[in-house]
Amino acid sequence: MRVPALIALLMGAFSTLGLAEATRQPLLTGESLPRLPQRLVEMGLQAVKAPDWLVSLGGFATAAATVVGVFLTAFALLSLIERKTLARAQNRLGPNRAGIFGILQPVADGIKMLTKEDIVPTKAEWFLHLLAPVLIVIPSILALGVIPYGREWLPVPLELGLVFFFAVGTMTEVAVFIAGWASGSKFPMLGAMRAISQMISYELPLIISALSVVMLSGTLSLSGIVAAQGGYHLGFIPAWNILTPWGFVAGVVFLIAANAESNRCPFDLPEGESEIVAGHMTEYSGFKYALFFMGEYLGLFAISGLGITLFLGGWQPPLPGLGFVPSWIWFFGKLAVVIFFFLWVRTTFPRIRIDQLMRFAWLCMIPIALLTVPVAALWQYSGKGALSWLLCSAILAIPFIIITVIFNRRLAPSIRQYHFAE
Amino acid sequence: MNPLPLLLTLSSLLFVLGLFAVLTRRNAILILVGIELMLNAANINFIAFWRYGSAEADLTGPLFVLFSIAIAAAEAAVGLAIILMVFRHTRSTDLNRLDSLHG
Amino acid sequence: MIPLLILSPLILLAALGAVWKARPVHAALLLALALAMVAVLYLTVGAEFIGLVQFMVYVGGVAILIVFALLITRPGDEAAEVARRPSSLVMGLACVAPVLGMLLYAISKGLPVEAAEGANPKLPVEALGRELFENSVPAVLAVGVLLTAVLIGAALFAREPANKPEPPASR
Repeated sequence: MRVPALIALLMGAFSTLGLAEATRQPLLTGESLPRLPQRLVEMGLQAVKAPDWLVSLGGFATAAATVVGVFLTAFALLSLIERKTLARAQNRLGPNRAGIFGILQPVADGIKMLTKEDIVPTKAEWFLHLLAPVLIVIPSILALGVIPYGREWLPVPLELGLVFFFAVGTMTEVAVFIAGWASGSKFPMLGAMRAISQMISYELPLIISALSVVMLSGTLSLSGIVAAQGGYHLGFIPAWNILTPWGFVAGVVFLIAANAESNRCPFDLPEGESEIVAGHMTEYSGFKYALFFMGEYLGLFAISGLGITLFLGGWQPPLPGLGFVPSWIWFFGKLAVVIFFFLWVRTTFPRIRIDQLMRFAWLCMIPIALLTVPVAALWQYSGKGALSWLLCSAILAIPFIIITVIFNRRLAPSIRQYHFAE
Repeated sequence: MNPLPLLLTLSSLLFVLGLFAVLTRRNAILILVGIELMLNAANINFIAFWRYGSAEADLTGPLFVLFSIAIAAAEAAVGLAIILMVFRHTRSTDLNRLDSLHG
Repeated sequence: MIPLLILSPLILLAALGAVWKARPVHAALLLALALAMVAVLYLTVGAEFIGLVQFMVYVGGVAILIVFALLITRPGDEAAEVARRPSSLVMGLACVAPVLGMLLYAISKGLPVEAAEGANPKLPVEALGRELFENSVPAVLAVGVLLTAVLIGAALFAREPANKPEPPASR
C-alpha cells in the first residue's frame, strides 16, 4: 500500500506544481505558504468555471478560515502554555496527565466544556443571555482580520485598518454589559459595571498611544505602518517604533492598556475568582463559557498583534541579513514574546483594586500617553540624532517622575486606624 | 436609480420617531435616547446629500457629520450627568415629578 | 441600493423598539442596535471613516453612557411607562404627524435640479484630514475646548457629594 500512496502523493505534488507553472505564479514559496489554501481553492473554482464572484468569495472564505484556524489552534496551545507557565512560576508542575506534558489538555478542556449542562437562570433573559457570548467572540475574530501577519499575508487589506480595529473593540464593551445584565443577578451586574468602566478608561491610553504612531507613519492602514518601520539605522538597528524615545513610552503604555483591555491580571478585577466569582461570566456554563474564554484569548492575540504592528515592526526581521526567513515567522515569534510577557506579568503582580485602577488610568496613563504625541512631533522635526534623543527622553521622563511621585504620595498606606479593636 | 429619496424618507421617519420619544417618554434618560435618534437622522441626511445629491466633489457633508457626532456625544455626557445630579436630589427620574423649582 | 433597502426597515424597527419599549434597558440596547446599523449604512454608502467613527463614538460611547446611567438610577418601575399609553400615544401622534407630513411633502416636491449621483464615490481620509486641519482649524479647536469643558464638567457633576456620613464607631 505504501508504494502506490507514494506515487499518488508525488503525482499530486507534480500536478499542483504543474498547475502553478501553467498559471505562472509561484505557488509555494516561504512567504506565500499561508496563502496556499486560498490559492488552491481559487484555482479549483476557476477550473470548474465558477463565476467570478464565487471565486473571490471562495478565496476570501478560505483566507478567513485559515486565519481563524491558525488562531484557534494557537488559543488551544496558549491555554495549555499559560497553565504550565503559571505553574512553573509557582514552583509546581502544570497539567501533565492528559497526554505527554499535558499536550492533550486543551482537548480535554474542550470535551468538558462541550458536554457540560447549559444552565440559564430563571431570572435571566434567555435571548440576551445567548447573544452575549456570540457578541464577544465576533469583534475578536473581526479584529484578527486586519492585522498584517506577513509580507503577503493580510487577510483584509483596509485603508482604515486601525480605526476598524478600535471600532470593533468597542463592540466588546456592549457585549460585556449584555452578558452582565442578562444574567439577572448581582455578581454579574457588578462585574459588568466594573469591566465596562475599566475597558472604557483604558481605551483612551490605547488609542492615544496609537495616535503618535499614526502621526509619524502618515497612514491609518496597518500594512503602511509596518512598511514605514522598514530600514535599519547604523546598518543593524531596526527602525521599529519601540526603539525611539516616544515609541518606547507609547509602546509600554500600549502594552499596559492592552493588559487592561483584555481583563488580564493585574487588571482582572472583573473576573477575579476570589473577588466576584467570575464577574460577568458567573451565570454561564458549558460552551457559552468556552466562548467567553475564546473571545478573551482571541482578543489578546488581536491586540498583541496590533501592538507588534504598531511598535515592534510587524513582520520586519530584526537584522538586515535575516530576510530569507519568511516574514510571518518573525511575526509569530514576536507574538510569542509578547504573549510570554503577558503571562509573566500575570504571575508576578497582584490584582489592582478598582479605584487604584481608575486612578492609574486617568491620572497616570492618559497624561503620559498625551505627552508622547508632541514628543513624537518634536522627534520628527528635530532630526533623529543624539540631541533629540536627549531632549525627547527628558521631556518624557520628567513628567513621569513627577506624576508617579505625586501619585505614590497620595496613595501611600496611612497609619491604620482600628475602629473596633484595640 | 437615485437612492436619495429613500434615505431622506428614512431620516424623516427616524427624526419623527425621536421626536415622539422626546414628547411621550417619562424617564429622562429615555428622552435622551430620542434626542440621539434625532441627531442621527440629521446626520443621515447630510451623508445622503453628500453622496447622492451633489454634483461636485466636496467634503462638507462628512465634515459636518464629524462635528455633529462629537457634539452629540458631549451633549449626551452632560445631559446624563445632570440627570444623575437631579436623581441624587429627588431619587426619581420621572420627569412628571420634577415640576417645581423648590428643591 | 439593495443594501439600503434591507437596512432602512431594520433601522426603523430598532428605533421603533427604542422609542416604544417599556423596559428602559431594552430600549437602550435597541438604540445601540439602531446606531450600529446606521454605522453600517454609512459604510455601505462610502463614508467609511464616518461609519467607523459613528460606531466608536455612538455605540461604544453614548450607548454605554446611557446604559450606565440606567444602571445607576435603576428605573425599575415600568408601570409608569406602560400607564402612559394610550393617551400619550394619541397625543404624541397628533404632535408628530404634522412634522412628518411636512418632511414627506418636502421630499416629494422633488429633488433639486442638479442632484446627481456619483460625484463623491468614496470618502478620502487624507483629504478629510487636510480639510479639517487646514481650513477648519478654529472649529476643531472649539470642539476640543468644548469636549474638555464637558469632560471636566461632567466629572464634577457626577461626583459623589463631598459630605459623607461618619463611619459607625469613630472614637
